Amino acid sequence: MDSEFASRRRRELIIAFCLAAIAAVVPLFVKDVYVQNIMVLTLMWGALSQSWNILSGYCGQISLGHALYFGIGAYTTTLLFTKFGVLPWFGMLGGGVISGIIAMALGYPCFRLRGHYFVIATIVIAEIGLLLFHNWDWAGAALGIDIPVRGDSWLKFQFTRSKLPYFYFALGLACVAWFVTWWLEDSKWGYWWRAVKDNPEAAESLGVVVFNSKMGAAAVSAFLVAVGGSFYAQFVSYIDPESVMGFQFSLLMALPAVLGGIGTLWGPLLGAVILIPLTELTRSFIGGSGRGVDLIVYGGLIVAISLARPQGLVGLFAPKRKEAAR
Amino acid sequence: MTAETIIQSLASGLLMGLLYGLIAVGLALIFGLMDVVNFAHGEFLMIAMYATFFLFAFFAIDPLLAAPLVAAALFVFGAVVYLLIVRFAVRAKANAGMVQIFSTFGLAIVMRGVAQFFFTPDYRSVPHSWLGGKTISLGGIFLPQPQLVGAAVSIAAFGALYFFIHRTDFGRALEATREDAGAVALVGIDKNRVFALGWGLGAALVGLAGAIMSIFFYIYPDVGASFALIAYVTVALGGFGSVFGAFAGGIIVGLVEASTALILPPSLKSVGIYAVYLLVVFVRPRGLFGSM
Amino acid sequence: MTAPLLETRGVWQRFGGLVANSDVSISVGRGEIVGLIGPNGAGKSTLFNLIAGVLPPTQGSIIFDGEDVTALPAAVRCQRGVGRTFQVVKSFETMSVIDNVIVGALIRNTVMRDARRKAHQVLEFCGLGPRAHVLASDLVPSEKRRLEVARALATEPKLLLLDEVLTGLTPVEAKTGVELVRRVRETGVTVLMVEHVMEIVMPLVDRAIVLDLGKVLVEGKPTDVVRDPKVISAYLGDRHAVGA
Repeated sequence: MDSEFASRRRRELIIAFCLAAIAAVVPLFVKDVYVQNIMVLTLMWGALSQSWNILSGYCGQISLGHALYFGIGAYTTTLLFTKFGVLPWFGMLGGGVISGIIAMALGYPCFRLRGHYFVIATIVIAEIGLLLFHNWDWAGAALGIDIPVRGDSWLKFQFTRSKLPYFYFALGLACVAWFVTWWLEDSKWGYWWRAVKDNPEAAESLGVVVFNSKMGAAAVSAFLVAVGGSFYAQFVSYIDPESVMGFQFSLLMALPAVLGGIGTLWGPLLGAVILIPLTELTRSFIGGSGRGVDLIVYGGLIVAISLARPQGLVGLFAPKRKEAAR
Repeated sequence: MTAETIIQSLASGLLMGLLYGLIAVGLALIFGLMDVVNFAHGEFLMIAMYATFFLFAFFAIDPLLAAPLVAAALFVFGAVVYLLIVRFAVRAKANAGMVQIFSTFGLAIVMRGVAQFFFTPDYRSVPHSWLGGKTISLGGIFLPQPQLVGAAVSIAAFGALYFFIHRTDFGRALEATREDAGAVALVGIDKNRVFALGWGLGAALVGLAGAIMSIFFYIYPDVGASFALIAYVTVALGGFGSVFGAFAGGIIVGLVEASTALILPPSLKSVGIYAVYLLVVFVRPRGLFGSM
Repeated sequence: MTAPLLETRGVWQRFGGLVANSDVSISVGRGEIVGLIGPNGAGKSTLFNLIAGVLPPTQGSIIFDGEDVTALPAAVRCQRGVGRTFQVVKSFETMSVIDNVIVGALIRNTVMRDARRKAHQVLEFCGLGPRAHVLASDLVPSEKRRLEVARALATEPKLLLLDEVLTGLTPVEAKTGVELVRRVRETGVTVLMVEHVMEIVMPLVDRAIVLDLGKVLVEGKPTDVVRDPKVISAYLGDRHAVGA
């Protein structure tokens, strides 16, 4: 039955596996720390955008407040480690679970809102979170928290000598986010989410409980983003409210998916692969003087792509057959 | 906390609120006209402030005199933004909402970059304008003159806008286009022209606000960002598309901000605004004056 | 006689000062095709939405399959066996035709493969098989109507609510539509249809219910209904009375 569909699904898995394998060997040849750093960030933002895409792309609930979950992940891990000596791995899980719960608690009133009212609510809630952390003395307030160096170990997830472990974790995270999306795409949730995005009233008439679908998407999305936030805290080993919960993080999570193709399987990763190196390179080579050329290039690119290819760049790679249209 | 401090802060809150209304009304106007939220609205404000600053710095034109010039310049700018970017953004068939958000967001980033490039990230201010630093005492309450004038300009602008929308041909064309752009085309009104003029008008209003704000605010490339969120909240609070809602929303935001500052530490003063926004939309998902 | 599949008991719906339905009591028996007709503004769509669970009635109750479903939301009524189409088609535009139908099939099939198989069966049944992999937004209007029916059928309803599925079709398309409705009934599904095109509906339905000004005006066999003077004066006009 519909063997073509099954083979397409299989092909996607194989392509992903090959790409991951290629990515895994790249740092063995590229030893430059600056480049490795960019690769880590690219994978991380790819994973984050992939997670954002679950709620905003598939389910159509555009959130510009995901920095909240990113920050909660970063803070949970860091606070548990510095205050109670809890290993970052547990903090990662804890931050994910807390974020998932908060996402549902916030979703409860917010998912009644539509369109711009919803988008603004997400921004505003993340801003409130940011301001609260700014004033929360126990959590370091505006000064932030330094994560003490305890030596290189996988157990404590700290690596001072090499970026490679971070790279492989980020690669793993990107793979997990991709796989979760792939798996959900052909599950009842995946269909429900797209139905809710396209037409909630029709979805409801077909037995889809729209509200629950949104809650599910929010929880999964927030969980994964928080894990990313935990990772980022370990990676930069210093956090303060602005550097993990600022509005720009919400934006940075959305942009790769938007440029690559929102609500698509490959869009977020593709977008990240183009956008993050470009951002880093413009910042290093023409933005160093603080003169804003990097912003001009970056913003100009966003305008150009969103006008020229509203469906995202991913369509450029799709086979030119109608049944592949998604 | 004495009664006097409370009255004092509420009075300044009210003045600031009227200015917030003026900042936000352009956003509401454009949204009402074509269902587009301009995410570069804060940057419109920013360039208006810079324009005022340079008119002062090079030609010694006081911000009050510069205001009409700046508004006119912003009018042209808004219309050009519509014609060059937004016109194409609203044509998108796929992901229409996204395209609008991110094309104007991208524009905002470009504008900030341009400001940094040409004007440097330094903080600037208009050092000695006619009104700068002056206050008026009314029954023991001190009101800063720039904010007072700003509030007066805001009320006048809202009055003019009301007259304009309801009493002039263009205003009627604007109303008709927002109701049914397709039908309007049939009677020979060029939709693009109306939209361009709508964008011009929206930008001119925020230009007016920017000129006055440059008297008492620092001017820097990111200044728009801090006011943009307040403007969105103001518009959403009143109900998207409602010009009157923006006016009322502005006053509410100003008063809430002032009262929050009385209770919470200053760094948390925005929390009050955000919380009120959430409370309002949770009860009325289309804002206070939006059609349900 | 067994209990009817659907019953509305004294249903009222008010929107502010406007009364859209007043004291409407109708019933639909198992296996019937019932037509719900009436002039514009008669309250057909409102009644339809009340039965589908889009909104709760101001007053009165709705009994489906022996259960009071008045308080149940649309999604749960679908679970109980109420399927519906929309007058203004509401396809999932960015999804393929087959994916549209899978959404419906998922309510009875937890395994994806089963849902997909079910969706393909339904598409074949509705004559949309060859269009399975086309985007819903690329369908022509008559196909979109059939997609609405297919999607609803995929939920395996006991009662199928059709909201003007035949209106606005060419005579040939309408004829295929009528065939489809007949075949749906043959599979044991009860059908309640709102329609405007009397000439097509009347031969199709077992029973017609005429609404006027929010009230049930007449109900009975289509041949009797079209001759009823009340119906003629309220809705049909002389031309149709002679024709019937």
